[in-house]
Amino acid sequence: MTPSLHLLVNGVRREGAVPPTERLLDTLRWRLNLRGTKEGCRSGACGACTVLIDGRPRLSCLTLSHQVGEAPILTVEGLESDPVGRAVLETFVAEAALQCGYCTPGFVVALTGLLKEHPGATETTLLEGLQGNLCRCTGYSSIRRAVTRLSEPKR
Amino acid sequence: MQLLAPTRAEEAIAALLDGPEGRVAVLAGGTDLLLDLDEGKSSPEVLLSLHRLPWRELTWEAERLEIGATLPLAQLEQDPELARRIPGLHEAVGAIGGVALRHQATLGGNLVRASPVSDLIPILLALECEVGLLGSGGERSLPLEQFLLGPRRTALQRGELVRRVWVPALPSAFRWQRVRPANDVSQISVAVAFAPKEERWRIATAGVAPLARRAKAAEAILRGPSPGEEAIAAAGASAAEEAEVRQDRRATDAYRRHLLRTLVLRAIRAVATGVGGQPA
Ligand SMILES: Cc1cc2nc3c(=O)[nH]c(=O)nc-3n(C[C@H](O)[C@H](O)[C@H](O)COP(=O)(O)OP(=O)(O)OC[C@H]3O[C@@H](n4cnc5c(N)ncnc54)[C@H](O)[C@@H]3O)c2cc1C
Ligand code: FES
Ligand code: FES
Repeated sequence: MTPSLHLLVNGVRREGAVPPTERLLDTLRWRLNLRGTKEGCRSGACGACTVLIDGRPRLSCLTLSHQVGEAPILTVEGLESDPVGRAVLETFVAEAALQCGYCTPGFVVALTGLLKEHPGATETTLLEGLQGNLCRCTGYSSIRRAVTRLSEPKR
Repeated sequence: MQLLAPTRAEEAIAALLDGPEGRVAVLAGGTDLLLDLDEGKSSPEVLLSLHRLPWRELTWEAERLEIGATLPLAQLEQDPELARRIPGLHEAVGAIGGVALRHQATLGGNLVRASPVSDLIPILLALECEVGLLGSGGERSLPLEQFLLGPRRTALQRGELVRRVWVPALPSAFRWQRVRPANDVSQISVAVAFAPKEERWRIATAGVAPLARRAKAAEAILRGPSPGEEAIAAAGASAAEEAEVRQDRRATDAYRRHLLRTLVLRAIRAVATGVGGQPA
Protein backbone atom coordinates (compact mmCIF):
# COMPACT_ATOMS: atom_id res chain seq x y z
CA MET A 1 0.00 0.00 0.00
CA THR A 2 1.39 3.40 -0.88
CA PRO A 3 -0.58 6.12 0.89
CA SER A 4 -0.52 9.56 -0.68
CA LEU A 5 1.56 12.27 0.84
CA HIS A 6 1.88 16.05 0.67
CA LEU A 7 5.19 17.65 1.47
CA LEU A 8 6.23 21.28 1.45
CA VAL A 9 9.79 21.23 0.15
CA ASN A 10 11.73 24.47 -0.37
CA GLY A 11 8.46 26.38 -0.52
CA VAL A 12 6.90 24.13 -3.17
CA ARG A 13 4.03 21.78 -2.40
CA ARG A 14 4.81 18.27 -3.67
CA GLU A 15 2.42 15.38 -3.76
CA GLY A 16 2.63 11.68 -4.52
CA ALA A 17 2.23 8.11 -3.34
CA VAL A 18 4.98 7.11 -0.93
CA PRO A 19 5.32 3.76 0.90
CA PRO A 20 4.65 4.10 4.65
CA THR A 21 8.19 3.33 5.80
CA GLU A 22 10.08 5.30 3.16
CA ARG A 23 12.78 7.58 4.60
CA LEU A 24 12.62 11.28 3.81
CA LEU A 25 16.16 10.95 2.40
CA ASP A 26 14.92 8.54 -0.28
CA THR A 27 11.79 10.55 -1.08
CA LEU A 28 13.89 13.67 -1.60
CA ARG A 29 16.57 12.02 -3.68
CA TRP A 30 14.70 9.45 -5.73
CA ARG A 31 11.16 10.80 -6.04
CA LEU A 32 11.72 14.55 -5.99
CA ASN A 33 15.10 14.41 -7.70
CA LEU A 34 16.69 16.61 -5.04
CA ARG A 35 20.05 14.86 -4.96
CA GLY A 36 21.86 17.53 -2.95
CA THR A 37 20.93 15.77 0.30
CA LYS A 38 23.50 13.00 0.68
CA GLU A 39 23.45 9.53 2.14
CA GLY A 40 26.58 8.85 4.17
CA CYS A 41 25.90 6.25 6.83
CA ARG A 42 22.11 5.84 6.79
CA SER A 43 22.33 5.35 10.53
CA GLY A 44 22.34 8.81 12.07
CA ALA A 45 26.07 9.05 12.57
CA CYS A 46 27.44 11.36 9.84
CA GLY A 47 25.04 14.27 9.29
CA ALA A 48 25.35 14.20 5.46
CA CYS A 49 21.57 13.81 5.15
CA THR A 50 20.70 16.82 7.36
CA VAL A 51 17.66 18.87 6.28
CA LEU A 52 15.66 21.49 8.15
CA ILE A 53 12.15 20.55 9.19
CA ASP A 54 10.28 23.50 10.69
CA GLY A 55 13.62 25.30 10.73
CA ARG A 56 15.30 22.63 12.87
CA PRO A 57 18.10 20.33 11.74
CA ARG A 58 16.93 16.73 11.34
CA LEU A 59 18.43 13.53 9.97
CA SER A 60 16.48 12.60 6.83
CA CYS A 61 17.86 9.04 6.93
CA LEU A 62 16.08 8.43 10.25
CA THR A 63 12.84 10.26 9.44
CA LEU A 64 9.85 8.69 7.72
CA SER A 65 8.40 10.94 5.02
CA HIS A 66 4.94 10.31 6.46
CA GLN A 67 6.06 11.66 9.86
CA VAL A 68 6.77 15.14 8.51
CA GLY A 69 3.17 16.25 8.07
CA GLU A 70 2.62 19.91 7.17
CA ALA A 71 5.99 21.12 8.42
CA PRO A 72 8.10 22.97 5.83
CA ILE A 73 11.26 21.19 4.69
CA LEU A 74 14.36 23.08 3.60
CA THR A 75 17.08 21.21 1.72
CA VAL A 76 20.42 22.41 0.42
CA GLU A 77 18.71 23.24 -2.89
CA GLY A 78 16.55 25.81 -1.08
CA LEU A 79 19.30 27.51 0.93
CA GLU A 80 19.97 30.23 -1.64
CA SER A 81 16.48 31.61 -1.22
CA ASP A 82 16.96 31.94 2.54
CA PRO A 83 19.02 34.93 3.77
CA VAL A 84 20.81 32.94 6.50
CA GLY A 85 21.35 30.02 4.13
CA ARG A 86 22.80 32.33 1.50
CA ALA A 87 25.28 33.82 3.99
CA VAL A 88 26.39 30.32 4.97
CA LEU A 89 26.86 29.26 1.33
CA GLU A 90 28.84 32.42 0.51
CA THR A 91 31.11 31.94 3.52
CA PHE A 92 31.78 28.29 2.61
CA VAL A 93 32.74 29.39 -0.89
CA ALA A 94 34.91 32.27 0.38
CA GLU A 95 36.79 29.95 2.74
CA ALA A 96 36.85 27.05 0.27
CA ALA A 97 35.45 24.98 3.12
CA LEU A 98 35.17 21.78 1.10
CA GLN A 99 37.20 19.28 -0.81
CA CYS A 100 35.14 16.49 -2.38
CA GLY A 101 31.96 18.23 -1.20
CA TYR A 102 30.07 15.13 -0.11
CA CYS A 103 29.59 16.31 3.47
CA THR A 104 28.99 19.94 2.48
CA PRO A 105 25.18 19.91 2.06
CA GLY A 106 24.91 18.50 5.58
CA PHE A 107 27.28 21.11 7.03
CA VAL A 108 25.68 24.14 5.36
CA VAL A 109 22.14 23.02 6.18
CA ALA A 110 23.05 22.23 9.80
CA LEU A 111 24.82 25.58 10.19
CA THR A 112 21.85 27.42 8.72
CA GLY A 113 19.60 25.66 11.23
CA LEU A 114 21.93 26.52 14.12
CA LEU A 115 22.15 30.19 13.12
CA LYS A 116 18.38 30.41 12.78
CA GLU A 117 17.82 28.78 16.18
CA HIS A 118 20.52 30.81 17.93
CA PRO A 119 20.96 34.13 16.13
CA GLY A 120 24.33 35.62 17.08
CA ALA A 121 25.60 32.21 18.28
CA THR A 122 29.20 32.05 19.46
CA GLU A 123 31.84 30.04 17.64
CA THR A 124 31.74 27.45 20.44
CA THR A 125 27.99 26.99 20.12
CA LEU A 126 28.29 26.57 16.36
CA LEU A 127 31.20 24.13 16.58
CA GLU A 128 29.41 22.08 19.23
CA GLY A 129 26.31 22.10 17.07
CA LEU A 130 28.32 20.64 14.19
CA GLN A 131 29.71 17.72 16.20
CA GLY A 132 27.24 15.39 14.50
CA ASN A 133 28.59 16.26 11.02
CA LEU A 134 31.59 14.33 9.76
CA CYS A 135 33.95 15.29 6.96
CA ARG A 136 36.44 12.77 5.66
CA CYS A 137 38.67 15.10 3.66
CA THR A 138 39.04 18.79 4.55
CA GLY A 139 40.76 18.18 7.87
CA TYR A 140 38.11 20.59 9.19
CA SER A 141 40.33 23.68 9.32
CA SER A 142 38.63 25.40 6.38
CA ILE A 143 35.22 24.52 7.83
CA ARG A 144 36.32 26.02 11.16
CA ARG A 145 37.39 29.21 9.40
CA ALA A 146 33.96 29.49 7.81
CA VAL A 147 32.35 28.94 11.21
CA THR A 148 34.56 31.60 12.79
CA ARG A 149 33.48 34.10 10.14
CA LEU A 150 29.82 33.25 10.54
CA SER A 151 30.03 33.72 14.30
CA GLU A 152 31.59 37.19 14.06
CA PRO A 153 29.14 39.96 14.88
CA LYS A 154 27.97 41.73 11.74
CA ARG A 155 28.91 45.42 11.55
CA MET B 1 4.12 -2.60 6.59
CA GLN B 2 1.39 -0.22 7.62
CA LEU B 3 1.87 3.11 9.41
CA LEU B 4 -0.65 4.34 11.96
CA ALA B 5 -0.42 7.82 13.46
CA PRO B 6 -3.31 8.29 15.87
CA THR B 7 -4.08 11.68 17.37
CA ARG B 8 -5.74 10.33 20.51
CA ALA B 9 -4.24 8.15 23.24
CA GLU B 10 -7.23 5.75 23.26
CA GLU B 11 -6.72 4.99 19.57
CA ALA B 12 -3.03 4.32 20.15
CA ILE B 13 -3.73 1.90 23.01
CA ALA B 14 -6.45 0.14 21.01
CA ALA B 15 -4.07 -0.29 18.07
CA LEU B 16 -1.48 -1.84 20.39
CA LEU B 17 -3.95 -4.45 21.57
CA ASP B 18 -5.19 -5.29 18.07
CA GLY B 19 -3.91 -8.65 16.85
CA PRO B 20 -1.19 -10.96 18.19
CA GLU B 21 1.75 -9.77 20.26
CA GLY B 22 4.65 -8.45 18.19
CA ARG B 23 2.41 -7.29 15.34
CA VAL B 24 2.74 -3.62 16.27
CA ALA B 25 5.95 -1.69 16.91
CA VAL B 26 5.84 1.70 18.58
CA LEU B 27 7.70 4.47 16.78
CA ALA B 28 8.72 7.69 18.52
CA GLY B 29 11.81 9.49 17.19
CA GLY B 30 12.87 6.33 15.37
CA THR B 31 16.57 6.74 16.16
CA ASP B 32 16.74 3.21 17.56
CA LEU B 33 13.75 1.54 15.95
CA LEU B 34 14.44 2.45 12.31
CA LEU B 35 17.96 1.04 12.66
CA ASP B 36 16.45 -2.20 14.03
CA LEU B 37 14.11 -2.37 11.03
CA ASP B 38 17.04 -1.84 8.64
CA GLU B 39 19.00 -4.60 10.31
CA GLY B 40 16.03 -6.95 10.24
CA LYS B 41 15.98 -7.16 14.05
CA SER B 42 12.34 -6.22 14.07
CA SER B 43 9.71 -6.89 11.40
CA PRO B 44 6.33 -5.72 12.65
CA GLU B 45 3.23 -5.53 10.47
CA VAL B 46 2.24 -2.16 11.85
CA LEU B 47 4.28 0.85 12.89
CA LEU B 48 2.41 2.88 15.47
CA SER B 49 3.86 6.37 15.29
CA LEU B 50 3.33 8.58 18.34
CA HIS B 51 4.22 11.84 16.56
CA ARG B 52 0.67 13.17 16.37
CA LEU B 53 -0.17 12.59 20.03
CA PRO B 54 -0.07 15.72 22.21
CA TRP B 55 2.53 14.18 24.51
CA ARG B 56 5.22 16.85 24.45
CA GLU B 57 4.66 18.49 27.82
CA LEU B 58 7.44 20.28 29.63
CA THR B 59 5.86 21.41 32.88
CA TRP B 60 7.66 22.68 35.98
CA GLU B 61 5.90 21.75 39.19
CA ALA B 62 7.01 22.93 42.65
CA GLU B 63 9.79 20.40 43.03
CA ARG B 64 9.87 18.43 39.84
CA LEU B 65 9.64 18.55 36.07
CA GLU B 66 7.07 16.63 34.05
CA ILE B 67 8.33 15.58 30.64
CA GLY B 68 5.98 14.17 27.99
CA ALA B 69 7.25 10.90 26.49
CA THR B 70 7.53 12.23 22.93
CA LEU B 71 9.17 15.59 23.61
CA PRO B 72 12.29 15.74 21.42
CA LEU B 73 15.42 15.91 23.59
CA ALA B 74 16.52 19.18 21.94
CA GLN B 75 13.43 20.93 23.29
CA LEU B 76 14.17 19.65 26.78
CA GLU B 77 17.76 20.86 26.46
CA GLN B 78 16.60 24.34 25.38
CA ASP B 79 14.32 24.86 28.37
CA PRO B 80 15.61 28.04 30.04
CA GLU B 81 15.22 26.64 33.59
CA LEU B 82 16.74 23.20 33.09
CA ALA B 83 20.45 24.00 33.53
CA ARG B 84 19.77 25.79 36.82
CA ARG B 85 17.16 23.49 38.34
CA ILE B 86 18.34 20.05 37.18
CA PRO B 87 21.92 20.62 35.99
CA GLY B 88 22.74 16.92 35.70
CA LEU B 89 19.83 16.30 33.33
CA HIS B 90 20.84 19.28 31.19
CA GLU B 91 24.38 17.92 30.93
CA ALA B 92 23.19 14.39 30.11
CA VAL B 93 20.76 15.49 27.39
CA GLY B 94 23.48 17.60 25.77
CA ALA B 95 25.72 14.52 25.64
CA ILE B 96 23.32 12.54 23.40
CA GLY B 97 24.24 12.18 19.71
CA GLY B 98 24.42 15.47 17.80
CA VAL B 99 21.98 18.40 17.53
CA ALA B 100 19.97 16.92 14.64
CA LEU B 101 19.65 13.58 16.45
CA ARG B 102 18.42 15.37 19.57
CA HIS B 103 15.72 17.07 17.51
CA GLN B 104 14.15 13.66 16.95
CA ALA B 105 15.18 11.30 19.76
CA THR B 106 12.82 11.23 22.75
CA LEU B 107 13.12 10.45 26.44
CA GLY B 108 10.40 7.78 26.23
CA GLY B 109 12.30 5.96 23.47
CA ASN B 110 15.55 6.07 25.41
CA LEU B 111 13.96 4.55 28.52
CA VAL B 112 12.07 1.81 26.68
CA ARG B 113 15.21 0.92 24.76
CA ALA B 114 16.88 0.37 28.16
CA SER B 115 20.34 0.31 26.65
CA PRO B 116 23.30 -0.48 28.93
CA VAL B 117 25.05 2.56 27.44
CA SER B 118 22.16 5.03 27.69
CA ASP B 119 23.35 8.43 28.88
CA LEU B 120 19.93 9.32 30.26
CA ILE B 121 19.29 6.31 32.47
CA PRO B 122 22.08 7.01 35.01
CA ILE B 123 21.00 10.58 35.69
CA LEU B 124 17.34 9.59 35.89
CA LEU B 125 18.22 6.78 38.31
CA ALA B 126 20.24 9.17 40.46
CA LEU B 127 17.36 11.66 40.46
CA GLU B 128 14.90 8.83 41.30
CA CYS B 129 12.42 9.78 38.61
CA GLU B 130 8.99 8.21 38.16
CA VAL B 131 7.69 6.83 34.88
CA GLY B 132 3.99 7.20 33.96
CA LEU B 133 2.63 4.23 31.97
CA LEU B 134 -0.65 4.54 30.11
CA GLY B 135 -2.81 1.51 29.33
CA SER B 136 -6.47 0.82 28.59
CA GLY B 137 -7.23 0.96 32.33
CA GLY B 138 -5.61 4.37 32.86
CA GLU B 139 -2.20 5.56 33.96
CA ARG B 140 0.05 4.01 36.62
CA SER B 141 3.40 5.23 37.79
CA LEU B 142 6.56 3.35 38.72
CA PRO B 143 9.95 4.39 40.05
CA LEU B 144 12.46 4.11 37.20
CA GLU B 145 14.42 1.50 39.13
CA GLN B 146 11.37 -0.80 39.02
CA PHE B 147 10.57 0.08 35.41
CA LEU B 148 13.96 -1.14 34.15
CA LEU B 149 14.21 -4.93 34.25
CA GLY B 150 17.33 -5.43 32.16
CA PRO B 151 18.85 -4.53 28.79
CA ARG B 152 15.91 -3.88 26.43
CA ARG B 153 13.54 -5.17 29.11
CA THR B 154 11.08 -2.97 30.97
CA ALA B 155 7.99 -3.34 33.11
CA LEU B 156 5.79 -2.11 30.22
CA GLN B 157 2.94 -4.53 29.78
CA ARG B 158 1.21 -5.39 26.55
CA GLY B 159 -1.03 -2.48 25.55
CA GLU B 160 0.93 0.08 27.57
CA LEU B 161 2.92 3.11 26.46
CA VAL B 162 5.28 5.36 28.35
CA ARG B 163 3.25 8.52 28.76
CA ARG B 164 5.54 10.80 30.78
CA VAL B 165 8.41 11.03 33.22
CA TRP B 166 8.57 13.07 36.44
CA VAL B 167 12.03 14.25 37.35
CA PRO B 168 12.75 15.71 40.81
CA ALA B 169 14.61 19.03 40.59
CA LEU B 170 17.81 18.37 42.57
CA PRO B 171 21.43 19.49 42.57
CA SER B 172 23.05 17.01 40.20
CA ALA B 173 25.85 16.41 37.71
CA PHE B 174 26.63 14.13 34.78
CA ARG B 175 30.14 13.24 33.62
CA TRP B 176 31.06 11.04 30.66
CA GLN B 177 34.02 9.92 28.60
CA ARG B 178 34.10 8.94 24.93
CA VAL B 179 36.51 8.56 22.07
CA ARG B 180 34.60 11.15 19.99
CA PRO B 181 32.45 13.87 21.56
CA ALA B 182 29.32 13.24 19.52
CA ASN B 183 27.59 10.24 17.96
CA ASP B 184 29.70 7.82 19.88
CA VAL B 185 28.95 5.58 22.83
CA SER B 186 30.24 6.63 26.25
CA GLN B 187 32.86 4.29 27.70
CA ILE B 188 31.60 5.24 31.13
CA SER B 189 29.06 7.76 32.31
CA VAL B 190 28.37 8.79 35.87
CA ALA B 191 25.50 10.70 37.41
CA VAL B 192 25.34 12.15 40.91
CA ALA B 193 22.45 13.83 42.70
CA PHE B 194 22.02 15.19 46.20
CA ALA B 195 18.63 15.22 47.95
CA PRO B 196 18.94 18.06 50.51
CA LYS B 197 15.86 17.15 52.59
CA GLU B 198 16.97 13.59 53.24
CA GLU B 199 20.65 14.64 53.08
CA ARG B 200 21.19 11.67 50.75
CA TRP B 201 23.68 11.32 47.94
CA ARG B 202 22.83 9.15 44.96
CA ILE B 203 25.28 7.84 42.41
CA ALA B 204 24.50 5.89 39.23
CA THR B 205 26.84 4.66 36.53
CA ALA B 206 26.47 3.33 32.96
CA GLY B 207 28.88 1.43 30.78
CA VAL B 208 28.77 -1.26 33.46
CA ALA B 209 27.12 -4.66 33.04
CA PRO B 210 24.35 -5.44 32.43
CA LEU B 211 22.54 -2.09 32.78
CA ALA B 212 23.13 1.26 34.45
CA ARG B 213 22.82 0.94 38.20
CA ARG B 214 23.10 2.77 41.49
CA ALA B 215 26.34 2.50 43.47
CA LYS B 216 24.70 2.17 46.85
CA ALA B 217 27.76 1.28 48.93
CA ALA B 218 29.51 4.38 47.61
CA GLU B 219 26.45 6.54 48.33
CA ALA B 220 26.44 5.48 51.99
CA ILE B 221 29.96 6.83 52.48
CA LEU B 222 28.90 10.41 51.73
CA ARG B 223 27.28 12.55 54.43
CA GLY B 224 25.89 16.07 54.40
CA PRO B 225 25.94 18.63 51.59
CA SER B 226 29.72 19.05 51.54
CA PRO B 227 31.50 15.78 52.21
CA GLY B 228 35.25 16.17 52.60
CA GLU B 229 37.83 15.10 50.03
CA GLU B 230 38.57 11.97 52.03
CA ALA B 231 34.97 10.76 51.88
CA ILE B 232 34.73 11.69 48.19
CA ALA B 233 37.85 9.67 47.42
CA ALA B 234 36.49 6.70 49.36
CA ALA B 235 33.17 6.91 47.51
CA GLY B 236 34.98 6.95 44.15
CA ALA B 237 37.04 3.91 45.11
CA SER B 238 33.98 2.08 46.36
CA ALA B 239 31.96 2.79 43.20
CA ALA B 240 34.82 1.53 41.05
CA GLU B 241 35.13 -1.58 43.15
CA GLU B 242 31.46 -2.55 43.24
CA ALA B 243 30.95 -2.02 39.47
CA GLU B 244 30.89 -4.97 37.11
CA VAL B 245 32.76 -3.27 34.29
CA ARG B 246 32.75 -4.59 30.76
CA GLN B 247 35.60 -5.05 28.36
CA ASP B 248 34.94 -4.39 24.68
CA ARG B 249 36.46 -2.66 21.66
CA ARG B 250 35.83 0.76 23.20
CA ALA B 251 37.78 0.22 26.43
CA THR B 252 39.50 -2.37 28.59
CA ASP B 253 37.95 -3.22 31.94
CA ALA B 254 40.91 -1.67 33.76
CA TYR B 255 40.48 1.61 31.89
CA ARG B 256 36.73 1.59 32.56
CA ARG B 257 37.31 1.09 36.27
CA HIS B 258 39.82 3.93 36.32
CA LEU B 259 37.41 6.19 34.45
CA LEU B 260 34.57 5.29 36.73
CA ARG B 261 36.50 6.30 39.83
CA THR B 262 37.68 9.57 38.27
CA LEU B 263 34.27 10.55 36.95
CA VAL B 264 32.55 9.75 40.26
CA LEU B 265 35.00 12.09 42.05
CA ARG B 266 34.42 14.86 39.51
CA ALA B 267 30.66 14.52 39.57
CA ILE B 268 30.48 14.58 43.40
CA ARG B 269 32.74 17.64 43.55
CA ALA B 270 30.60 19.39 40.95
CA VAL B 271 27.45 18.79 42.97
CA ALA B 272 29.11 19.64 46.29
CA THR B 273 30.35 22.99 45.05
CA GLY B 274 27.01 23.72 43.40
CA VAL B 275 25.15 22.88 46.62
CA GLY B 276 27.50 24.90 48.81
CA GLY B 277 27.42 27.86 46.49
CA GLN B 278 23.72 28.35 46.06
CA PRO B 279 20.82 28.60 48.51
CA ALA B 280 18.47 25.59 48.40
C1 LIG C 1 23.89 8.35 15.79
C2 LIG C 1 23.26 8.03 17.12
C3 LIG C 1 23.85 8.49 18.30
C4 LIG C 1 23.28 8.20 19.54
N1 LIG C 1 23.91 8.68 20.65
C5 LIG C 1 23.39 8.38 21.87
C6 LIG C 1 24.04 8.82 23.06
O1 LIG C 1 25.06 9.50 23.00
N2 LIG C 1 23.50 8.46 24.25
C7 LIG C 1 22.36 7.73 24.34
O2 LIG C 1 21.89 7.47 25.45
N3 LIG C 1 21.70 7.31 23.24
C8 LIG C 1 22.21 7.61 22.01
N4 LIG C 1 21.57 7.14 20.88
C9 LIG C 1 20.36 6.30 21.03
C10 LIG C 1 19.01 6.97 20.80
O3 LIG C 1 19.06 8.20 20.16
C11 LIG C 1 18.12 6.99 22.01
O4 LIG C 1 17.97 5.73 22.58
C12 LIG C 1 16.77 7.67 21.76
O5 LIG C 1 16.52 8.45 22.89
C13 LIG C 1 15.58 6.77 21.46
O6 LIG C 1 14.43 7.59 21.32
P1 LIG C 1 13.54 7.56 20.00
O7 LIG C 1 12.40 8.48 20.23
O8 LIG C 1 14.34 7.81 18.79
O9 LIG C 1 13.06 6.04 20.06
P2 LIG C 1 12.53 5.03 18.95
O10 LIG C 1 13.64 4.54 18.11
O11 LIG C 1 11.35 5.59 18.26
O12 LIG C 1 12.05 3.88 19.94
C14 LIG C 1 12.96 3.17 20.76
C15 LIG C 1 12.22 2.00 21.42
O13 LIG C 1 11.28 2.47 22.38
C16 LIG C 1 9.95 2.13 22.03
N5 LIG C 1 9.18 3.33 22.37
C17 LIG C 1 9.48 4.61 22.02
N6 LIG C 1 8.65 5.47 22.64
C18 LIG C 1 7.79 4.72 23.40
C19 LIG C 1 6.71 5.04 24.29
N7 LIG C 1 6.35 6.31 24.53
N8 LIG C 1 6.07 4.01 24.89
C20 LIG C 1 6.44 2.73 24.68
N9 LIG C 1 7.46 2.37 23.86
C21 LIG C 1 8.12 3.35 23.23
C22 LIG C 1 10.00 1.75 20.58
O14 LIG C 1 9.01 0.82 20.26
C23 LIG C 1 11.39 1.19 20.45
O15 LIG C 1 11.42 -0.13 20.90
C24 LIG C 1 22.10 7.43 19.62
C25 LIG C 1 21.49 6.98 18.44
C26 LIG C 1 22.06 7.26 17.20
C27 LIG C 1 21.40 6.75 15.95
S1 FES D 1 23.15 9.46 6.22
FE1 FES D 1 21.91 10.28 7.77
S2 FES D 1 23.33 10.67 9.34
FE2 FES D 1 24.55 9.67 7.88
S1 FES E 1 34.70 17.62 1.79
FE1 FES E 1 34.87 15.50 1.39
S2 FES E 1 33.82 14.63 3.05
FE2 FES E 1 33.91 16.69 3.57
